[in-house]
Amino acid sequence: MPLIDIKNLSYAYREENGEPIPVLKNIHLSVEEGEYVVILGHNGSGKSTLAKLMNMVVDDYEFAQGEIFVDGINVLSEEITDEDVLTLRKIVGMVFQNPDNQLVATIVEEDVAFGPENLGVPNPELRERVDRALATVGMSEYAHHEPHRLSGGQKQRVAIAGIIAMMPRVMIFDESTAMLDPIGRREVIDTLEMLNREKGITVLSITHYMDEAARADRVIVLDDGKILLDGTPAEVFAHGDTLRAAGLELPQCTALCYELMAAGLELEGPFNTPEQCAKALAKAWREKVVD
Amino acid sequence: MADIIHPADNPKIRLLNVSYIYSKGTPFEMKALDTVSLDIHAGKLTGIIGHTGSGKSTMVQLFNGLTSPTLGKVLLDGEDIWAKPKEIGKIRFRVGLVMQYPEYQLFEETVASDIAFGPKNMGLSKEEIDERVAEAASFVGLSPELMDQSPFDLSGGQKRRVAIAGIMAMRPEVLVLDEPAAGLDPQGRRAIFSGIKAYNRLTGCTVIIVSHSMEDMAEFCDDVVVMAHSKVLMAGSRDEIFAHADKLESVGLDIPQITRLSLMLAKEGISFPESLYTVGYASDAFKALFGLEKGGNA
Repeated sequence: MPLIDIKNLSYAYREENGEPIPVLKNIHLSVEEGEYVVILGHNGSGKSTLAKLMNMVVDDYEFAQGEIFVDGINVLSEEITDEDVLTLRKIVGMVFQNPDNQLVATIVEEDVAFGPENLGVPNPELRERVDRALATVGMSEYAHHEPHRLSGGQKQRVAIAGIIAMMPRVMIFDESTAMLDPIGRREVIDTLEMLNREKGITVLSITHYMDEAARADRVIVLDDGKILLDGTPAEVFAHGDTLRAAGLELPQCTALCYELMAAGLELEGPFNTPEQCAKALAKAWREKVVD
Repeated sequence: MADIIHPADNPKIRLLNVSYIYSKGTPFEMKALDTVSLDIHAGKLTGIIGHTGSGKSTMVQLFNGLTSPTLGKVLLDGEDIWAKPKEIGKIRFRVGLVMQYPEYQLFEETVASDIAFGPKNMGLSKEEIDERVAEAASFVGLSPELMDQSPFDLSGGQKRRVAIAGIMAMRPEVLVLDEPAAGLDPQGRRAIFSGIKAYNRLTGCTVIIVSHSMEDMAEFCDDVVVMAHSKVLMAGSRDEIFAHADKLESVGLDIPQITRLSLMLAKEGISFPESLYTVGYASDAFKALFGLEKGGNA
């Protein structure tokens, strides 16, 4: 059974004048436990709504149709119990965009303890979870610091630690790097990749940075509330025109390789990263020199 | 006389031995700028790049007199902006600053009146205000039918453009933007940067952009200033700056992917006469290398 199984999902917001505005249109999507999935789409493509629905943090379910199964619990079922909701919250953890909006305590370790404490985790297990979570994101030495004095990337790692301490099976990152500088971005991406590769946590990362997509197992492109592309990074990047039409851009090196191939150069892929592109171009160059 | 980095004959803005110290005399004392002397060339689009904490945001706030230097002078057209501190307000009309996430500062009922707010405060006539609002809106690509809508009904990217248009409509001699494209998707980024470049080219006004994105800088700026550790590490034309990509990497800055690719290929013995930093340049260079037809879409 897939960990997340979405069937026929449609969703709309209600505008002030009462008219529903469709955001998601008939989405089918399953995610297996342990996958690292990036969801791409321009602002307004519906990607954040999709993420919020999985964790039941949207305001209004009036125009929600279809089914979202998370570990067998149908999030959109009318018979969902409080117990189910609690189970769901334990399974799915979410990290948002703005690090300043996610930290609640005045000391880093208290902030990390906030989530598991609310789940009723007793001491000494609570203590262990907090310490382990901070160690996982490399923030142990900041345990007694004040969150507001940390850098953006550090704050975001504390927010991630707060989620890890609840020991979720899926973590959803909703544009969690959008407000960070390049160093902060790298810290957060390295952290989420490690959580997936080493801790086996299923990762769904919503972003519009294509270089982040290049590192995932699977890339899903949303446009106008529909799934436009779904495949490995290499499969998705092969559709440069479709991506551009959806308001996205290929990574520079990938775009270059496809352009050179269109002009008649024979190159051997994949072209997801600058390293892979350099390898392909160097190989083509050596072959040309030998000729 | 200090050594001016990247000197100009008639600099629009000149920093002379400028230092800025935060919380002076407290345990949190921090030197955000350390004896910086720099020229911003008139009419150019200059990008300022550096890590968080490198001093770039502090520098930006010095340009329009939002803060005053602890030491040194800030000259606008050769005149010390702090010569008459009581008249510093006038400088803010001449040097317009668009802060980060400016969309949170929108407040009027319609897009048009929000953009008109600045020009109104300058005491311009109604005709002139209307003309400036229309012009600024067209620079940032806001269509006329949006003008009567509430700014709060717009998308994030559109709101951002309204906020930028509001400063453009004041037609400052220098337009300074701090991370104008932060958080936007690729199309939104492109729309903002293209609009800013159009403003620079068509009005001739000096424009300064602070950004983390080397790829955007490489594509849109004439000159680049690189900040590191409270000092200017390098300043010059973008060709000069990207010719020293290794130096950028040494201070941990993200160089454009294309530039990284060319550095990797240089190790394989494939080198190009010029530094590569945009897909367009790189595509032409590789086509020449492999003897392919030029042209096609960049």
